[in-house]
Amino acid sequence: MTTNLTKAIMGAAALAALAGTAAAQCPKTGGTLTYLYHPEPTALSTIATSAVPVAIVSTKIYESLLTYEGAGMTPKPGLAESWTVSDDQKTYTFKLRQGVKWHDGKPFSADDVKYSIEKVVKPYTSRGRVYFGDVEAIETPDPYTVVFKLKAPVPFFMNVFQPGEAPILPKHILETIDTSASGPVRQSSLMRQPVGTGPFKLKEWTRGSHVILERNPDYWRKGHPCLDQVVLRVLPDGAARAIAMESGEADVAPMSALPEAEIERIAKLPHIQATKEGAEALGPNMWLEVNLRDKPLSDVRVRRAISMALDRSRIVDVIWYGQGTPATGPIVSANPNFYNKALKPFVYDPKAANRLLDEAGYKRGADGVRFRMTQNFLPYGESWVRLGEYIRQELGKIGIAVDTKSLDLAGWLKAVYTDWDFHLTSTFSHNYSDPTIGVQRTFISSSIRKGATFTNSMGYQNARVDELFAKAARETDKAARKKQFDEIQQILHDELPVIFLVELSYTSLWNKRVHGLITNGISMYSSWDSVWKE
Amino acid sequence: MPPTLAFLARRLLQLGPVVLAIAALNFALLHMAPGDVADIIAASSGGAPVEFVEELRRNFGLDRPLWEQFLVFLGRLLVLDLGWSHIQQAPVLELVMERVPATLLLMLAAILVAVAAGMLLGILAAMRHRSWIDAVLSILALVVYATPQFWLGLMLIVLFSVTLGILPSGGMMTIATDLSWSARALDIARHLVLPSLTLGLFYVALYTRLMRASMLEVFTLDFITTARAKGLSETRISFVHAARNALLPVVTLAGVQIGHILGGSILVETVFGWPGLGRLVFDALLQRDLPLLLGVLLVSSVVVVLVNLLVDLVYGLLDPRIVQR
Repeated sequence: MTTNLTKAIMGAAALAALAGTAAAQCPKTGGTLTYLYHPEPTALSTIATSAVPVAIVSTKIYESLLTYEGAGMTPKPGLAESWTVSDDQKTYTFKLRQGVKWHDGKPFSADDVKYSIEKVVKPYTSRGRVYFGDVEAIETPDPYTVVFKLKAPVPFFMNVFQPGEAPILPKHILETIDTSASGPVRQSSLMRQPVGTGPFKLKEWTRGSHVILERNPDYWRKGHPCLDQVVLRVLPDGAARAIAMESGEADVAPMSALPEAEIERIAKLPHIQATKEGAEALGPNMWLEVNLRDKPLSDVRVRRAISMALDRSRIVDVIWYGQGTPATGPIVSANPNFYNKALKPFVYDPKAANRLLDEAGYKRGADGVRFRMTQNFLPYGESWVRLGEYIRQELGKIGIAVDTKSLDLAGWLKAVYTDWDFHLTSTFSHNYSDPTIGVQRTFISSSIRKGATFTNSMGYQNARVDELFAKAARETDKAARKKQFDEIQQILHDELPVIFLVELSYTSLWNKRVHGLITNGISMYSSWDSVWKE
Repeated sequence: MPPTLAFLARRLLQLGPVVLAIAALNFALLHMAPGDVADIIAASSGGAPVEFVEELRRNFGLDRPLWEQFLVFLGRLLVLDLGWSHIQQAPVLELVMERVPATLLLMLAAILVAVAAGMLLGILAAMRHRSWIDAVLSILALVVYATPQFWLGLMLIVLFSVTLGILPSGGMMTIATDLSWSARALDIARHLVLPSLTLGLFYVALYTRLMRASMLEVFTLDFITTARAKGLSETRISFVHAARNALLPVVTLAGVQIGHILGGSILVETVFGWPGLGRLVFDALLQRDLPLLLGVLLVSSVVVVLVNLLVDLVYGLLDPRIVQR
């Protein structure tokens, strides 16, 4: 715990130092940065999907109105040079940068912004409606001004203009495709031959092998990017990726691109630097979703017993090779803006768990079993299988017999989120930059809907939680909003609609000859225009 | 019509129904798996509302009844339209054809390694029957046969790439370099060594054993006794007289195992990051990318059927009686 804290403090200091130099010139220009990831991106635009491999590569090519600084995501100029917010927080006016060019040489203007958001980002991306659902109108009084008029205040509105979440696409190309349905948009050339405004543009994509991005010589930020090329190498085998980092063939393994079992070994090498920082605005959080419609699990005492029977530190250390932190609630503790520091850690106490189940009336039968249930696990690889084995073993000790069902991803999604045919399943969810975006969907009663992935599969209903989330989604007073989220966290911590387990880490590793990678809470989803290599 | 041509024509005519039957079977099997690509796309973006998923299903035609989807699939197939991969955002045919050369190259190199080395070692073992050479070769063959391919691949990487540093650890070519045509060929050849060895060694073991047994059987036949009576050298007898006759079982097995080698290439392509079909099919399966999956399976089945035909033709060359029958 102390080492984590020290790391966090050192990380924050490093971050501050980096932020200070961000505006300066490149210490060195030129060079090729090679990073590793698998699976291969399925497209080069987050319009198709904001899956990790797509988001990493496409954010070097496409930009949004803003960039961000620090783990708390302070908005900084991007395609917009400056902005003003009206007193009622319902009108956002962005002044755009002049002289910005698309990769095909056409000029960028306010029309591109309006067209992208209205025709593509809002209707056809998975969080588009959350971000822009309250936008009444987008006005472009002149080519370099965009005005967003909102029906009601959206407290997180300055967070949404991230390059991966609200990318600005070229209107002159969008106009040539049918935007009345998602099909033609998803099939458009922009997904494979991107035309953006970012510091890098596509040079070559050989499927199954690599993507090469090269410097955009007309990039609006003078003297940037520092690098000549960014290359993504797709190496499907985890051990082979570790070898490539070890031998120096590759420079960066972003966002847990290496298998958990290898991270610790590679991170100790003298030429490698590793950090868990730089992904605070994603906040991956792992928990067990519990089907509250069924009898024993609908009893909060049973859920508390299950929670007490699981040793979170062991899960982190043994199953995830130290790549995580025990969770205390729905918001990850690394979140600098919204985490409720009053939450107590969950204690591991199998004896108390046994007592609680006895009190709740679930006595052990002749075979020592209180009741039986099934569990699923998220089919994301070896760690999740081992977690399932661990849960089966620990719950067996307190008299709950667990049968494990193994499904692949498509089958699992259908069983959990469409058929609700499960008792207990591991899963993980991103907090994103604001709880209204990433946390609310799992716990409000209106998201109990069949077929919506990563939502309220539990059937959890709590009028107070619903009310607080609804208020927070409109609250303009920062302190009041923080209090609302604090109360939500406390309720969820006590009622355990899901069994919170581990805040997972996105560990990024890089060769020490690379500098300037960690800049904000979405560091790997940032443009890397100031990243340089010795 | 000469018998070889008639044989070829007959077999090519059979190709159509065979491939169609395979396609129908694939379609039925793949649709039995629960879940679909719309859920996968929503999940890969970290979850999405119902409307988003429904809109995707409508666009992909997944909301229509299964028989209708099947007819659409068949109709497209007849005009060689394999459809669109909703995951990869590209036409299936393009995606598959991009990968075919890499896989063919790997397969052919592996088969070449397997048949050539297997033959040589088999002949050697048979010539030195019950000697120490025979014993060593038999034990080696057994060990290689029992070694998992992915492990063998990783060990070869550790030895040749990490420790010795003489061969690349993965990929099909050096990225981001402008090379001349001949230098590029050499570059690919260097990258090909380890994967083709990994894929081929298993079959080397198999063919060594087979060739050995087959040679020993041929050695007992009358024409070998005649050759010996003529005073020919053992080497000449083994390589010229016996080998051609002993080769038939090996070629038969090689033909049957083309599909098997294609399957094995999934593992090998994963370990070495080789951009071939095997890798594509694996990813497509996990992502329920059915059009792509059907496309890959279809193209693979065509490849297997064609290679089998080729094997039959080689067979005819080795043993002319087969065509005449």
